[in-house]
Amino acid sequence: MTISRRNVLLGGAASAALLPLAAARAQTSEVVIGVIYPLSGASAQIGVDAQKAFETAADIINKNYDFDLPMAKGEGFSGLGGAKVRLVFADHQADPQKGRAEAERLITQEKVCAIVGSYQSAVAVTVSQICERYQIPFISADNSSPSLHRRGLKFYFRAAPHDEMFSTAMFDFFDAMKKKGQKIETLALFHEDTIFGTDSANAQLKLAADRGYKIVADIKYRANSPSLTAEVQQLKAANADVLMPSSYTTDGILLIKTMGELGYKANAIVAQDAGFSEKALYDAVGDKIPGVISRGSFSLDLAAKRPMVAKINDMYKERSGKDFNDYSSRQFMGLIVMADAINRAKSTDGEKIRDALVATDMPGEVTIMPWKRVKFDEMGQNNDADPVLLQYTGGKFVTVFPPQGAVAEATWPMK
Amino acid sequence: MTAATIIQSLASGLLMGLLYGLIAVGLALIFGLMDVTNFAHGEFLMLAMYGAFFMFAFFAIDPLLAAPLVAAGMFVFGAVIYLLVVRFAMRAKANIGMVQIFTTFGLAILIRGLAQFFFTPDYRSIPTSWLGGKTVSLGGIFLPVPQLVGALISLAAFGALYFFIKKTDFGRALEATREDAGAVALVGIDKNKVFALGWGLGSALVGLAGVVMAMFFYIYPDVGASFALIAYVTVALGGFGSVFGAFAGGIIVGLVEATTALIMPPSLKSVGIYAVYLLVVFIRPRGLFGSI
Repeated sequence: MTISRRNVLLGGAASAALLPLAAARAQTSEVVIGVIYPLSGASAQIGVDAQKAFETAADIINKNYDFDLPMAKGEGFSGLGGAKVRLVFADHQADPQKGRAEAERLITQEKVCAIVGSYQSAVAVTVSQICERYQIPFISADNSSPSLHRRGLKFYFRAAPHDEMFSTAMFDFFDAMKKKGQKIETLALFHEDTIFGTDSANAQLKLAADRGYKIVADIKYRANSPSLTAEVQQLKAANADVLMPSSYTTDGILLIKTMGELGYKANAIVAQDAGFSEKALYDAVGDKIPGVISRGSFSLDLAAKRPMVAKINDMYKERSGKDFNDYSSRQFMGLIVMADAINRAKSTDGEKIRDALVATDMPGEVTIMPWKRVKFDEMGQNNDADPVLLQYTGGKFVTVFPPQGAVAEATWPMK
Repeated sequence: MTAATIIQSLASGLLMGLLYGLIAVGLALIFGLMDVTNFAHGEFLMLAMYGAFFMFAFFAIDPLLAAPLVAAGMFVFGAVIYLLVVRFAMRAKANIGMVQIFTTFGLAILIRGLAQFFFTPDYRSIPTSWLGGKTVSLGGIFLPVPQLVGALISLAAFGALYFFIKKTDFGRALEATREDAGAVALVGIDKNKVFALGWGLGSALVGLAGVVMAMFFYIYPDVGASFALIAYVTVALGGFGSVFGAFAGGIIVGLVEATTALIMPPSLKSVGIYAVYLLVVFIRPRGLFGSI
């Protein structure tokens, strides 16, 4: 083919036509964030609900809403020329090794600039290590094991409380109840055998020793056991003033059912959320445990003070058919905190996002949580995330502790 | 440790063991008949649990009444699975062992995936069945009624199966096909029909177990996995090819599990099961009652 003048002109016109498009794309490229959750397997429902929470957050980031919440006003990332967020979901099946592989895939294949995860703390361990290696920031939206932020990782952040903070709130509550004349001397721990249950029990053992409570049973059980008869028998024999379970949903349901079968009625249950903040557990056995108390980092009561909480909850409910719970609220905030940092970093570079996360100082009033603020310490932990204790009464949770957040007095003992 | 604790443990272990036995019998039946390990056995259990759940949720049929319906449904399901899937896997020219493993394993993943898609991964349970939540107390020993009735159903089902195999023509055809599938063809027995019957029976038995479990266990798409693992150990412990062995194996596993939990930390209770299993396999590789 000979190159005629006309062809050159045509080609020139074509490239000229393409140019502004290419330039525009470079400027308003999308921000890709990896979201890693159990979408199949025993905890799949958690992942499915989490997906809806993240989609709600992405919706608020990408569209214009009049909420007093970072990233809500205006469309997309103002710091990146209005770029929109795109979430890439990965399924870790509650398996730390699969989590590791999926994190690697998200970073190398999907080119995500940040990752949010992961429900199970055991998975957060491996995912955050991969993130560290590739220098990609990771936010633990809802992992609560204290050991997670103590590994000296530079790219690990957690806006929510960890189990020591939660457990401290529980023991503060016990102390307060004792002052009111309740008899609380003996405690029974019941915890599953992965990092969540183990860390939780270690924190509780230490607090009990410090504050003079007697542990009369410390039962570590295998997660997803076909039967918990032997375990419950030991709890029954110990008959402590407070039973403190750290269990995921399946084990929580089986625990309560088996307690009923073996004629064991606990004096009081104060749970380390997980299964005990799940609607599924209350659908299954809620009638057997009126008055159970679980720790949490979220309460719908807050909507009375901050109307946007109810509005955002409605957006989530429309997608999932459920109210925000302790998990979905933290997942939602996890993405907002990450997006806010990316926006301030004005970049999708891991190192720059990390610097922005380090500089984060978000007042509690502009979140949907009862937190004082979001500010990370040198290990990436937000120490101003105040936990609450919630009691299940009349088919819903009400905040009973701390006093400044409480809307009702705790019913004690529960039966 | 008081006497009551020990008796309670053994009683709970026995009730659980009878259920393990009922789950394992179906697996052993199919294996004994045609040397096929059904790796989707746990998923069959899960489907039956959902069967009982949906009967209750949509038509308010109590699991006790639903039991024969679910078992019949599972019978048809098992036979169809054989005719549509397993039969073809059995025709492989090479590596037939691997082909059947991958077939049933793939089937397990497919069923689990479909269950998650159609039933959602939410945890279900039957909140108000006739027997659910009821317990009888005998001198400080608590026996949950659903498990107690489950144990009776399990014994009855095993008795019926035993009678069926020993006393009926179909049962004798089953036994004969098991002995020599090639030779029965010569006397005019349709091997395919017998195999389909075996799959149907095995699935109906695990179906019964599923209904019993639905009365006291939570239900979700992955629920079969932990029970299936115990069923494989049970079959291997009791002896491959022996239906009686699988049933006895179930009871042993239940008792060993309960005893281990008494003397060791509960998180190690499955260690006892696997220790006994290893010991048996070491001393008697074909299992306690195995014929192969």
